[in-house]
Amino acid sequence: MAKQKKDIVQTKNPRTGKYVKIDRAAGKIVAHKSTSGPYKNVPVARKRSK
Amino acid sequence: MIYYNPADGDADNNPVKYRPKTCFIMTRLGHPVPKVIKEIRKDIKEVLTPLGIKPIDANSLVTGKDFLKKIWNMMRSVPLGIAIITEEIPPTTLANIFYEIGLMQAYGKETLVIKTPKSSVPSDFVRTEYIEYKSGFRTQLKRFLKEVQKRPAHYEHLAELLERNPLLSIDYLRRAYLISGDKSYRKKALEYKKGIGDRAKNSIESLMLDF
Repeated sequence: MAKQKKDIVQTKNPRTGKYVKIDRAAGKIVAHKSTSGPYKNVPVARKRSK
Repeated sequence: MIYYNPADGDADNNPVKYRPKTCFIMTRLGHPVPKVIKEIRKDIKEVLTPLGIKPIDANSLVTGKDFLKKIWNMMRSVPLGIAIITEEIPPTTLANIFYEIGLMQAYGKETLVIKTPKSSVPSDFVRTEYIEYKSGFRTQLKRFLKEVQKRPAHYEHLAELLERNPLLSIDYLRRAYLISGDKSYRKKALEYKKGIGDRAKNSIESLMLDF
C-alpha cells in the first residue's frame, strides 16, 4: 500500500456527507470520496481549539 | 475570486456591498404573479425571519441602471439563493431563474429549489437540493436552513486546512461570514492576507477582503 503523505488529511463535507481529502502543503482539495465513510489510512483533520 | 461582468465580459474590480444573512429569491416577479408563488413566498418569509434572514429579490433594489448587472451584484452579495418553480411560470422566466441559480452555484452560494409537485427541473439541476411545496414543506425548509447554518464552522475549518492557499481560505471565510454575519471571520481573513503581502486596493486579493 502506498504510504500517505503526512500533510494529507480528510474532513467530511456536511453538504454531501462524504469525505474530502485535503493536501495541506499544497493548499488544495485533492479528492472527493464517492462512497460513504472515511478514506482508509488518512487522518481526519480536527478543528483547532479556539 | 475573479468575477467577469456578464454584461461586458470584463473583470469587475468594484467592491461588492455584501448582504450577510439575506436570501435572494428567484421566481416570477412580474404580473401576474401566480397565487401559489405568493403563498410560497409568505411561507419562506415566515421561516426565514425568526432566523434573522431577510428575503430579497431583484425588485428590492432600484438602481436605474442595467438590470442584469443589478441582479448579478445582488447574487454576489448574498449567502443564499432560493428559486421558486411552478408550472405556471413561462419558459422564458424559467430560463432566467435557472441561469441565476447556475451563477449562484458557481459563486459558492447555498442554493435551494422549491418546486410545486407538477413542475419539473432540467436534468443539470438533478443534484441541486429541492423541496416540493406540499405537506411538510416548512419542516423541510427549516431542516435545510439548519444544515446551512452549520456550514460556517465547516468553511472556517476548510480555511484552516487550506491556509497554504490564502485566497481560497479567505473565500471560505467570506462565505462563512455571509451565512452567519459573524465579523470574526473577517478578522481571521485579515490574518491570511498577511501571507499574501501588499496589494493594490482594487486587487483581487484586496477585493476579496471587502466583507
